[in-house]
Parts: sequence; C-alpha cells; structure tokens
Amino acid sequence: MLRKRATADDLVIFFATDVHGSDVCFKKFINAGKFYGASVLILGGDVTGKMVVPVVEQPDGSYLTSFAGKEARLGAGELQDFERRIADMGFYPKVMTENEFQELRASSERQDELFHTLTAERLAAWGEYARPRLAEQAVKCFAAPGNDDAFWVDDVLGSSDGIELLEMKVVPLDGLEMLTTGWSNETPWKTERECTEPELKERILAMIGEIAEPGKAIFNIHVPPYETVLDQCPELDEELRPVHRGGNPVMTSAGSTAVRELIEKYQPVLGLHGHIHEGRGIAKIGRTVCVNPGSNYSEGVLNGSLIRLKDGQVRDVQLTQG
Amino acid sequence: MSTLAGERVFLRKASGLIKSASNTDVFIYDIGLVSIGLGLGFLLFFGPAVYLGGNLYVATILAGLAMLAVGLGMLTWTITIPRSGGIYNFGTRSMWPPLAFTLSFVEVTSWLFYGAFGAVYLAQLGIAPAVTAVGILTGNSGLESFGAVQLAGHWGTFIIGTTALIIGAIILSSGMRRFFFVQKVMFTIACLGTLVFLGTLIALSRGDFLGNFNSLMGHRLGVGQDAYHGVIGAASKAGWHNPGYDWSRTLELANWAFLPLIGAAFSISIGGEIKQVTRGQTIGILGAVIGSVVVWIVSFALIFHTMGSNFLGAVTYSNLNAVHGASTPVTPYPTLLTGLGANSVTLTILIALGFIGWIWLWVPTQILYPTRAVVAWSLDRVWPDVMGRVNERTHTPIPAIALSLAGGITFVGMLAFTTFFQLVIFIEVAVLAWAIVLLAGVFFPYRRPDIYEKSPIARIKIAGLPVMTVACGLGTIAAFLFFFDLFFDSFAAGHARHSLEVLIGWFVGAFIIYWIMWFVRRRQGVKIELAFKEIPIE
Repeated sequence: MLRKRATADDLVIFFATDVHGSDVCFKKFINAGKFYGASVLILGGDVTGKMVVPVVEQPDGSYLTSFAGKEARLGAGELQDFERRIADMGFYPKVMTENEFQELRASSERQDELFHTLTAERLAAWGEYARPRLAEQAVKCFAAPGNDDAFWVDDVLGSSDGIELLEMKVVPLDGLEMLTTGWSNETPWKTERECTEPELKERILAMIGEIAEPGKAIFNIHVPPYETVLDQCPELDEELRPVHRGGNPVMTSAGSTAVRELIEKYQPVLGLHGHIHEGRGIAKIGRTVCVNPGSNYSEGVLNGSLIRLKDGQVRDVQLTQG
Repeated sequence: MSTLAGERVFLRKASGLIKSASNTDVFIYDIGLVSIGLGLGFLLFFGPAVYLGGNLYVATILAGLAMLAVGLGMLTWTITIPRSGGIYNFGTRSMWPPLAFTLSFVEVTSWLFYGAFGAVYLAQLGIAPAVTAVGILTGNSGLESFGAVQLAGHWGTFIIGTTALIIGAIILSSGMRRFFFVQKVMFTIACLGTLVFLGTLIALSRGDFLGNFNSLMGHRLGVGQDAYHGVIGAASKAGWHNPGYDWSRTLELANWAFLPLIGAAFSISIGGEIKQVTRGQTIGILGAVIGSVVVWIVSFALIFHTMGSNFLGAVTYSNLNAVHGASTPVTPYPTLLTGLGANSVTLTILIALGFIGWIWLWVPTQILYPTRAVVAWSLDRVWPDVMGRVNERTHTPIPAIALSLAGGITFVGMLAFTTFFQLVIFIEVAVLAWAIVLLAGVFFPYRRPDIYEKSPIARIKIAGLPVMTVACGLGTIAAFLFFFDLFFDSFAAGHARHSLEVLIGWFVGAFIIYWIMWFVRRRQGVKIELAFKEIPIE
C-alpha cells in the first residue's frame, strides 16, 4: 500500500521548499503526509509569491489582464477560473478598476501595500486550509521563511494553528535536533534576508551552540552549501541575464561557503536546503546527506523529498514530483 | 520596493526573476545537433548509389515537412511542460510510469547508439577518407594506403571511434564549461568548413572538376585516362542506372534526411532553461529544420552543377559495390570529391575538417543526453543510486558518463566488427518512442487539463481543437509514417528478423528493467511510483 510508512520505527520526513505563493503546491504539501506516509512535514523557505496580476474591469463588462507576457481579455464567466490558475502559479490576482490600476501603477508604496495585503490574505487562507487537515493526519508540520520572504511573514506563519514556525530556532525531532534559518548569503537581487558569509556563519553558530550533539542534528538551512550539485544555477551577467556559451547556459555555484564550512565541521545527519530551484538533487558532504528538492511551483508541481531516518541515521532519500 | 513589469503586472523584489536561454542559443543548440555535414554525407553518398530514382530535393523537403510536424508536436509538449529532461518528463506526466520509463530508456539508448554511429563515421566518413585524399593529392602512397586500408578498416574504425567517445566523455567529465567551449569551437570549424565547401563548389567549373579528377584518378582506376566518363560507363555496365523519378525510392531516401533532422528537436531536453519558451523553442526547432533543409538543397544544386548527377551516382555506386576498375581509393563523399576536384591539399583539409566538426558535434552530445536521463532515473529511484552521483569538484555525473561511455564503446564495437545492427535500426526504436509520446500529446489537453490550462498555448484552438492536440496529431502521423518508411527500407533499417528482435527486445528489456528496479526498491521499503504520482488535494 502506498500510504503506509516504510517500517513502524522509521521517521519519515516530507520536505518541500520554495512554493512561492503557489496555492496548489501548498495544498499538496498539506496533503503530503497522508499520501506519502510521512509523520513530519517541513516546508522550507520562500513561501510568498513574487507578482500581482491586476485584472482590470472594462466598461464593456470584460476584464483586461496579462498572462504569460501577453494581454488577455476575459469574459465575466472566465474570471474565477483565471484567478484560480494565477493563484496556483504562485501569483496574486487582484480585480480592480482602471483608475485603481493607474493609481497603483504610479505608486510603488501602494504596490507594496497591495503585496502585503494579498500575501497576508493568502497565508491566512492557507492556515485555515491546513488546520483541520493536519489535525486529522496527526502529523507534525513545520514551516520557515526564506530570503525572499518579508519579516512580517514570520508572524503570520507563526500564528497558524498546527504549523510551527522554525525560523532561527532549534527544535527537538524524534531524538534529533533541528536548527533552521531562511537567511542566505548575498544575492544579485538584494532580497529581504540576506547577509555576508561571516554574518550567516554567526547566525548558524548561535543555533549550533544550543544543540547538544551537532553530529545528531538536522541543519534546515534555506541556502545550500557551496560547490555542490544543490547550488548550481545559471551564471548571470551584470544585467542579471544568464550567460550562454555554445547555446547552453553556463552554470555556477551560488551556495554558501559558510554553510558548507559548518556542515563539513559539525557533520550533521541531514541538511535540508532550497533556494536554488534548479539545484534539485542529493549530495554528501562527509557523512552528511544534503538534499535540495528544487522547485517547479509555477507549474503547480510540488517537488519534494521523502526522507526516511532510522536510529538517527538517514536510511533513504527519495525525490518526488507530486 | 515593487516595480512594474511590462504593462500590466506588478513585481516585487525577489530572486530568480530572470532565467533564459536566448532564441539564438536554442537555434545554435538545435542546428548543431542536426549535423548538417553528416546529413549531407548520407544523402549524397547513399542517395544516388542506393536509391535509384530517388529525388534528393523531394526527399529532403518531405523529411523537412515531416520533421516540422514532429517538431511542432514536441514544441507544444515543451511549452506545456517547460522542463529539462525531454520525453521522460512528458511521459511521467501523461502515462503509466513503467511505460514512460520504457520510452525514455529506448530513446536515450538510441541516441547513445547514434553517438557511437557518429564516432564510427568520424573514422569512415571523416578522418580515413581525408587522410587518403591528402595522400592522393600529395602523391604519398603510404599515406594513401594508411587512410584507405588501416584507418578505414575494422580496427582503425574501432580505435578512432572509441578514442572519440573517450575524449567526449573526458570533456563531459571535466565540466560543462569545457564541453560548451569545445562544442562552440567545433561548431565554428564546421560552419567555416561548410562555407569553404560551398565556396569551392561555386568557384569550380565542371571542366575544372573533370580535368582534375581525370589527372588524379586516370592512372589509379582501371577505366582509362578519362576516368570521369569511364566511371560512369563501368557503373552502368555493373547495374547502376538512372531510371527517372521514382516515388517509392524517394520516400525511402527521405529516411536519410529525417535521421539527422531529428536533432532539431533536441532542445526539448533543455526546456527548463529557456524563458521565452514559446518563441525560443519555435525559432530553435523550426529554424534548425528549415535552415538545414535550405543548406542541403543549395549543396545538392551546387554539387550536381559541378560534378553532374550521373557521375555522382556512378562513383558512389562503384565504391559501394566495388565495381572493378571504377572504385575510387578514397570513399567518394562529395566533400572529398570537391577537395580532389579542386586539386588542392589546403581546401581538402579545410573541407574535411569542417565535415569532421559536424560529425564531432554529435558525439559528446549523444553521450550527454543519456547521461542526463540516467541521473533523472537515479533520482527517481528507478536506476541504481550510484549512477546519480555527481562529482563535487566538476559537478558532473561521472558514473553516469562512464556508463554511457561503456554503452557507446559497445555499440562502436558492434558497428565496426559485426553486421548485427542494420545501419540505422535504432532510429526505428527512437521514432517509435517519439511517436507514442506525440500520441499521448494528442489527448493530454483532455486527460490533464489541470496542467494544460496553465500553458501559454492553452487558449489557441484550431478547428475547435486544442493546438496541442492538432500539432501532436500531425507529429504522430509524421512519426509513424517515417517509422513505417524505415520499416520497409531494408538498406537503412528494415524489418529483418534480427532487426525486429532488436526493436522488440529493446522495449521489452526496458520494461523488465523497470519492474526489476520496482521489486528491488520495494524490498528496500521504497515505492518508486511515488516519485511520479500527483498528490491528491482533499
């Protein structure tokens, strides 16, 4: 049977990350415990979306919007379906008048407010969706923000019943301890939670100091370790466009040297990472198994990893595309 | 701080908003994999000699149209599921996982076969004839014999082919940057060689060609000093003739254009790395098909103008059938004939290098394609874990590359020392796999509307049908037509008993491999079907 645990004494963790506001991906994540037979669900960082899609009411009763880089005109009967599709892709649809659209267009402050409102609404709706389902499944569910998430996201995530916020905390987990941070090293985009490598190292070391045996810990760190298969992404030029040679994108390492150094030194049981959507894979650093399930959130596909632990050791890692 | 992107959406500051291969990059990727030179070699060597009555122009246009249909179908797949990995991704989203794995397995082993095929032809079509031609032009009989006998022989072919595969694997193992650099250099050499080839043909008159050919071959062949007309006469006596236009032979000849043109759709394997996927893939796939067909047609016209179609048919026929006194010591590929016809060592070397460059472009890429699939299978647990391991220093999957290399060398050995594989039998296997995936695409908009409706092409209808249904329908028809065209072409692929055994055995073997891994994983407590299953939302 698919929905049984592998063995009764295995700890089965389902880890997914970088859902970036995708409604369908979050709902799949909440249902993953029952589907995969996991007893622990961990949602890695970057939970919020990146784009608001205005749907502007027109005098003739139709709606003007953008989809896949093109303008689209919708009939009233198509609106609900369009909004659902946009939400599943991780974006925030917003119906408005032409005047409202023009006012928003002219004011970046008002756009920020709109992002805040829509993001908070979606996170609140996710909390409502998750509560009864998690209670029914009797699974532990953890979530953490990522470098792309605003700081106020922590408060919303932390207030959800049934979901435990992990950011900058050490929590016990079935005889192991897990530290978590959504902070990353510096990126070309100057995102919300990024810092220099030494600062990142200090943040993680502060949590390692709270762990009794770092060698029996799980490092749930959004940014992957440097120079692994988990941190390979397209190299960008000065205008943030990918560099190509011979018709192919040139790949480079974008992970953290601090994270790598600390994993090499403390050799935790498991490293849970995200951040680099293209970096789907499994890597070993010494005896530490590091995982990045990658992300395909805009397709509505939930990339995940099913991790089985026994006696404090990783028994198996299976990457999934649900 | 939020920003306005385009006209009607608002973006906030966040990572990863830009990610794209340019349209030109995709075009270069695809046209490099067509291997214009290899296609030219196949068509102009086998066409006039084997497919008597086959019209090169019509055959090439037919293959181009069929590949456009296949390309359009694959285009709708890659736009709808814009991820890297090719048909494995399409299959696991649309069909029973064991079937999806089976199709992926037969597809990538077919491309691996063509990597080996390219490596073999690097020796037989590229290096050996080039050395022989240089020997002839310089009057160095030792060099001439070394090229014609040693390099073109079984062991010469095996050693050159294996060396090429090993070099390709080493380049891939050392990192993708080096791979891309080498490919770019070889692509440049190939293009320059082709320009030299076309330029030489334009500059060379029929009289010049005839005079130079006669002076070089008059004393080497046994058909008199007027070797040009002597070869035509000897071949005609031996059975070669020009029966005029023949539809069935033209259709069969089209197989040799279709084979390299399949490379035009290989950018489906990098779908996840293209931002403007609709525009980029359209330009890449369709541009590569059209561009290749145009270059080939121009080349045919120039070759026939310079050498004459009867001579080309006679000289290739004589070589393939060892017609007494008329078989040239160097395999008469048109590229080498052009160099000889110009009586120039420099031009011969430049043209040969260009030709070698085109063949080379196939070799490492056909190792790379299976390597990517092997890693994907390993991550999905349908293949041993060790094959998914990536070297931490070079970031390359060395065990998967080694496995692909071993498979490639085995194929080279089979091609060099045995006649077990009909020339392009594996193209039947690959075309059948693609045909099945295209057929699945016909129904995809109806079976998986949850995925299809997110596609940028979801709103496009043709005669009331989703564009994916129409494009994949056309692609399915084209792919199955060419499957049967190959099936009934006994020279290229055919349906001899052992060919059918290879064809069926490959599918059945892949299916069995899936279930062996399913059983092994089940004993380990891993359910491999979970890798593909969609999580239901309650």
